[in-house]
Amino acid sequence: MSGTKTFLLELHCEEIPARFLTPLIEEFSAAFTAWASDQGLASAGLEAFYSPRKLAWRGASLPASQPDQTDTQVGPPQRMCVGEDGKPTLQGLKFAEKWGVDFSAVRFEQPAGRKEPCAVVTITKQGRPTVDLLAEALPGLIAGLHVPKAMRWGTSEFEFVRPIRNILCLFGDQVVPITVDGVTATNTTWGHRLYHREHPEAVKIATTEAYESALEAAGIVVSMEARRTRIAQQLEVLAAEVKGHVVADAELLDTLAEIVEFPKIVRGEFPADFLELPKEVLVTSLREHQKSFCIEGLDGALLPCFLTAANRTDDPAGFVKAGNEWVLKARLYDARFFFAEDRKHPLADRLEKLQALTFQRDLGSYHAKTGRVVALTKNLATRLSDDMDHIDRALEAARMAKCDLRTLMVGEFPELQGIMGGEYLRYEGAHEEVWKAVKEHYRPVGADDAIPGTPTGCLLSLCDKLDTVAGCFAVGLIPSGSKDPLALRRAGQGIVRILWERGWAFTPADLIAAALRTVGAKATKPEAETTEALLAFFKDRVAYQLELVGYAGSVRRSALAAGWEDLVDLKARCEALSAFAEDPRFASLAQSAKRIGNILKDEALSTDFDGSLLAQPEEKVLATCLKELESAPDQASLLAALANLAEPLEAFFNAVMVKCEDPALRAARLSLLHRLRQAFLRVADFSLWQ
Amino acid sequence: MHIQELILRLQRFWADRGCLIGQPYDLEKGAGTMNPLTFFGALGSKPWNVAYVEPSRRPADGRYGENPFRVYKHLQFQVILKPSPAKVQDLYIESLEALGIDLSKHDLRFEEDNWESPTLGAWGVGWQVVLDGMEISQFTYFQQVGGLDCRPVSAELTYGIERICMFLGGYDNIFDLVHGEVKTDDGVFPVTYGQMRQREEFELSAYSFEHADIDLHRTLFDAFEKEGWRLLKDHGHFLSAYEQALKMSHTFNVLDARGAVSTTERPGIIKRVRDLSCACARAYLEHQEGAAVPVEAAGKGGAK
Repeated sequence: MSGTKTFLLELHCEEIPARFLTPLIEEFSAAFTAWASDQGLASAGLEAFYSPRKLAWRGASLPASQPDQTDTQVGPPQRMCVGEDGKPTLQGLKFAEKWGVDFSAVRFEQPAGRKEPCAVVTITKQGRPTVDLLAEALPGLIAGLHVPKAMRWGTSEFEFVRPIRNILCLFGDQVVPITVDGVTATNTTWGHRLYHREHPEAVKIATTEAYESALEAAGIVVSMEARRTRIAQQLEVLAAEVKGHVVADAELLDTLAEIVEFPKIVRGEFPADFLELPKEVLVTSLREHQKSFCIEGLDGALLPCFLTAANRTDDPAGFVKAGNEWVLKARLYDARFFFAEDRKHPLADRLEKLQALTFQRDLGSYHAKTGRVVALTKNLATRLSDDMDHIDRALEAARMAKCDLRTLMVGEFPELQGIMGGEYLRYEGAHEEVWKAVKEHYRPVGADDAIPGTPTGCLLSLCDKLDTVAGCFAVGLIPSGSKDPLALRRAGQGIVRILWERGWAFTPADLIAAALRTVGAKATKPEAETTEALLAFFKDRVAYQLELVGYAGSVRRSALAAGWEDLVDLKARCEALSAFAEDPRFASLAQSAKRIGNILKDEALSTDFDGSLLAQPEEKVLATCLKELESAPDQASLLAALANLAEPLEAFFNAVMVKCEDPALRAARLSLLHRLRQAFLRVADFSLWQ
Repeated sequence: MHIQELILRLQRFWADRGCLIGQPYDLEKGAGTMNPLTFFGALGSKPWNVAYVEPSRRPADGRYGENPFRVYKHLQFQVILKPSPAKVQDLYIESLEALGIDLSKHDLRFEEDNWESPTLGAWGVGWQVVLDGMEISQFTYFQQVGGLDCRPVSAELTYGIERICMFLGGYDNIFDLVHGEVKTDDGVFPVTYGQMRQREEFELSAYSFEHADIDLHRTLFDAFEKEGWRLLKDHGHFLSAYEQALKMSHTFNVLDARGAVSTTERPGIIKRVRDLSCACARAYLEHQEGAAVPVEAAGKGGAK
């Protein structure tokens, strides 16, 4: 048997929860590929398909059978297998028998590592038809899939994510005969439920290649990507019809594509008076309760419309639209009820109630946290500004920041924390600086999110995150490996970004000390230990942030090694280095810097150097350059001076023998290089440049 | 469609498909699952199909009859199919069509929603059934009941009767639903849900939130518990003991609505109800199957 065929497996189940689809698809693909390679079947991997009721995999160009395998077995020495009479001994016959060959097939050779000729047989194991191997292996591969919340059904003991109701399994045009929990594979499957109202027969899959088209004809778009693309297109068209565009939400788009088998986007309306609710409330309520997108007009304000997906091709009677509108209205009534109830009392009334809300067992309530954040805000605000009004507003924002955790709206939609506090303060007539700061103080919520838009918002966000990180470290809650349940790394990233994007000159050591002072007696770990752990944590965050921003590895490593405590300076150096790396003089400079490093290795160094000892013109030029470098007032002129150094340095190394006989001259030259290196190190450690 | 017509159609449909038509159990309870027809019916190996209406009380959901969507007491239509049939989803879909829902014009989806009843030591996996964006039923494959693995597995279908009626009729207020018509010599008088129930909603909400005597309910809770264990331990009576567990559960719900249960106290109270109901389940199974319950089955899996 030769040639290749295509393998196709589809498990048709009752509706599988969306969150399990991708993990199951990926796990089987990996297990199958590993199995195929164990069997000596060269495979190009599997193509995956899934929908709420289907998990399917297709692998093209799988060999029709295993290649034949030869195996060499070494037995006892020749002298023990063949008697002096030249006839086989009992031992020799047993060796042949063990491997199922006649004694005449036994050869005598001296294998590597043996001192004398031994009995050797070569056994050819004929490759088996792939279809047989599949039939044997697939039930185990399917049953072995890891299901976090497995279930049983009917009378069977079989466990899976949801009941398997049909199995389609083909190798080429042949059905692979497998049975899983009493379901035997065929070459048929089932289409959309609506399709089968008119067509009671199962759908025959004539060829593995026709899988998608046969299912599409039966009402199912089985490719996740195809569904997502179609949904995205329909969303755009339907939003454009009302002169708006969709409020983007990639996660919601995925969700919709995962819960329908045939995507039809329906646009509905809701009463315009609900638009008095804050935009974030509407977007969240529509997303969480009704898996719906909002539409915004050209001015960014929401339109009284929503878009959601139906699991069918059309909405012939308008029932889908009307039904979703009906449910959404009930939901928005709820949201409006929460919004009205929450505003019956000023937000500040919740401050005392924060005592009953635990932030963390050792660190106390959110009330205690608020106290710490206020203290920290005061400390940092007075260092950033001497405008007392401004400082007062920052402190007011810090006091109000966590109050919305006790509102009905945040109870219903936790992701609206901060946002609701800000909105409620705005309705109460709070100063813009205050409500905006509260509203944005959880930002940035991820790498793609922006930092707060106002300086006060940034300060509040910084202090809140700093207190969380330092507080948790002080009570021993330190992220390790993949474990970071309190998202401290994300908070750390936010702190670094705010410092950079605002250009604030606080050093991490400074911030850590201030934060630990407010944590005070709540700490359960020694302060020195916590400080050390926090410094290491922040250095990692800084390095990671530099990577996220896109600086090359060489830039990051060499700049970090030259010091990271002054974050603003570090960022400026990275920026300058990245630009300079393109300069043709840079390669030469980096090379020279490394050379300096090598020369200075193992030398006793002094920073005193006597310029008058220098004799050759090349070294005199270099001494002048050094003066220029050392007197550079800022980063930019330092880099400009460095760039101008490339040529003189090259000339110096070409002409001057540093380690000359004259000890005084030699010392002067070494000192010159040492001072140059120190000037370099103000920017970067070039020895780490690759 | 009138409420009573919906109930009658569901009863006819499931009776025609081999279900016993049961009756609501005459004790307060939070869900149809608590009816012994389900709680004990789902245990053991014998086939068991049953369908019935269950009035379900959720004291914390009371809104004094003022909220158009939320009520203290609502009606569930409950179906238990043991073992779960291979075509159970199709059967459910047929039942919707028997209610006059033309599925060729609607969007029907099964979205993940796993069910758990901490007081019954029961859990299962399944879906909420969503019609045109509206949740109309809960569909569960029982994995454990009373802390015991279900073998075979039952399918439980729970229809929200008022919701489905509101949805089918496009009502914006539950109290506008029509329960049925009274016909007399003088004419035909439609009777609304509001006429039948709105005052009840008001009084029961007021009771749950304001008037229920907290001390009395605490005392009752302890007394029901004591009574339940006495019945079970001294007499081996699991049915009367289970009634005490149901009473504990409702008493807890009233205390909860009154705001008398702190978050730290809650898990302990729930566990006391669960311990009794799980003990009843074991006693039932020992009695019914005449065999000792395998020890390893108890408490296995995800029951909380």
